[in-house]
Amino acid sequence: MKFIVSSTYLLKQLQVLGGVINNSNTLPILDNFLFDLKQDKLTVSASDLETTMSSVLDVDSDNEGTIAVPARLLLETLKTFPEQPLTFVVEDNNTVEISSNHGKYALAYADGAEFPKAVELANPSETTILGDILASAINKTIFAAGNDDLRPVMSGVFFQFSPENLTFVATDAHKLVKYQRNDVSASQVAEFIMPKKPLTLLKGILAGSESDVLIEYNDSNAKFTFDNTELICRLIDGKYPNYEAVIPKENPNKLTISRNQFLSSVRRVSIFSNKTTHQIRLKIAGAELNISAEDMDYSNKAEERLTCSYQGDDMQIGFNSRFLTEMLNNLNADEVSLEMSLPNRAGILTPVDGLDEGENVTMLVMPVMLNN
Amino acid sequence: METDFPLRKIIHVDMDAFYASVEELDNPDLKGKAVAVGGSEIRGVVSAANYEARKFGVYSAMSGVLAKKKCPHLVFVRPRFDRYKEISKKVRTIFFQYTDLVEPLSLDEAYLDVTTNKKGNPSATLIAKEIRQRIFDEVGLAASAGISINKFIAKVASDYNKPNGQKTVNPEEVLSFLEDLEIRKFYGVGKVTTEKMYRLGIFTGKDLKTKSLEFLESNFGKSGAYYYHVVRGVHNSAVKPHRTPKSVGAERTFNENLSSEIFMLERLEHIAEELERRLKKSNLAGKTITLKIKYSDFTLNTRSKTVPYFVADKALILETAKELLYQEKLQNSVRLLGISLANLNTEKKKTESKEESVLVQLKFDF
Repeated sequence: MKFIVSSTYLLKQLQVLGGVINNSNTLPILDNFLFDLKQDKLTVSASDLETTMSSVLDVDSDNEGTIAVPARLLLETLKTFPEQPLTFVVEDNNTVEISSNHGKYALAYADGAEFPKAVELANPSETTILGDILASAINKTIFAAGNDDLRPVMSGVFFQFSPENLTFVATDAHKLVKYQRNDVSASQVAEFIMPKKPLTLLKGILAGSESDVLIEYNDSNAKFTFDNTELICRLIDGKYPNYEAVIPKENPNKLTISRNQFLSSVRRVSIFSNKTTHQIRLKIAGAELNISAEDMDYSNKAEERLTCSYQGDDMQIGFNSRFLTEMLNNLNADEVSLEMSLPNRAGILTPVDGLDEGENVTMLVMPVMLNN
Repeated sequence: METDFPLRKIIHVDMDAFYASVEELDNPDLKGKAVAVGGSEIRGVVSAANYEARKFGVYSAMSGVLAKKKCPHLVFVRPRFDRYKEISKKVRTIFFQYTDLVEPLSLDEAYLDVTTNKKGNPSATLIAKEIRQRIFDEVGLAASAGISINKFIAKVASDYNKPNGQKTVNPEEVLSFLEDLEIRKFYGVGKVTTEKMYRLGIFTGKDLKTKSLEFLESNFGKSGAYYYHVVRGVHNSAVKPHRTPKSVGAERTFNENLSSEIFMLERLEHIAEELERRLKKSNLAGKTITLKIKYSDFTLNTRSKTVPYFVADKALILETAKELLYQEKLQNSVRLLGISLANLNTEKKKTESKEESVLVQLKFDF
């Protein structure tokens, strides 16, 4: 088995695939990339058993063969090379020899047959979505997903497909984001929960991508195919919480404000908040929003006033400033609106402008109770 | 006496028919007449009755209608709580000239610990006499007093020579005093407990003393231990000058019985408003919201809910109160609604504060 490939081209692909590989693996074979050569097509795969991603590379070869190459060693080596052709030759003594302009390097490889096979999806349903749209759907939602091992369903992003639209939801029980695209749809109704890791990978690869992504899915797995790459992952098993039920319907108090001003104020004031609760207080009366925080333990205190447009009763509500910051950061709008009902009910943050055609974002955040 | 504590000298001072006496004081025309404060012949509850009215069997907490029936010439007077408070304050300033250990139970009664007192007077009996005399001279009202070694006996004793009298139960008399005491006169034994005691063959302190701790605990739960000790003269509760309230509430009796929840919601809003005002005044907040419903047949129903955070806000109180109101169908028309808040933020603040900071972040109700 022998092939010649451009060093930077290979590195670029391997760096993307390398994201799949866990730092510590119980199965040593998973520390490797699987190289599967068929003439001038080299398919490189990486897996953590849950997620398997592979890319097809164009190489110069007329051989066939399958080997598993140590990922870390290979990546470290490739990073140091300027652009140049590299020749990979599999030797008899279970090593693969790489020849560069500078010299020769031998790596011990494992038998490719040991590498776990990715699952084949039986009877999948499918839908197609533009790469950049998928990337922004992930981007808008994934930060809100939880890390709680006790509620695994909430550690993923909920994909809800229908002939009308595609909906993506993430929540950690404190904050929730619902991202909806009415300009994309699926042939039939389907729901599944995607784990965070493959989504993070997809987000990175697909940002700004003009390629179509084919999404195939059944009850247990999903497969994303685009350009020369395919990603197969196991879905999170379980029932996603009924998120619609927690979106308050009647919210008589509506605050509209410049996102940037609001965000900067929250950031500044939160520096003075309690280090464990990150609690800040919003006091809204008339057209004035008063943001304050204090840390009793250190007598730190801050207060800012902002002009806003407000309809509703005067009210006070407490929030975790980190949640507000994350959410405000994640919106592109110039103006946002925050709708509220009671100080113990979720606040609904939505962008007033800056949305694409057919795009819809709703963010919910549960308050922190003010103790006086 | 099987107590490890040095003997204390506790006085319980109880104003005689306080509200009614204040009314008589301010309006001499009422003197000699049967007077009831609060309520009316058609509605409401008597808050207090003077001794003339009591002769006819009119007591506080009796409905106005019944009171009028028992005593047709009864005069109803609207209560003026601000005035009572003012007089109560005057009385308390007298107390404080003797000791700082004053625990007010209500506007008209208080415990005083005079074991060591500002006058250096070793006789609690004489102090009580002096205090009662000064109340009469400076305020113009009669008070009764009970003097003994703990709050329980002092409280019971103050009833002994009422009105305008006092009773001292000396340490050596304590046990026989308690043995002779009728069970229904025990402080902390109400109507229901009295009946239960009777059924168990307990009519006096002596009967109570024959029962074992286990027996009393199995019949009366936690209170069993209280009864067991109290009858042996053991009641170590200190006179606490700053009583922190355990709950704050507001309630209203309606002019007409309400049968529709819609009208009740409106009333609840007023009650919640009043409660919020009271909470704000003392800077309190609580976690347990209790809705009290008194039906037209005087049966009482309470429903409560505990939330994981402190509330003091009208809107939040009202929200929970509404939920409690709708929780169960009303059985009858309603004459009184009340909302109270317990589990206040004054309780064991230190141990809980850590847990609190975790609890206050609310979660979606999935």
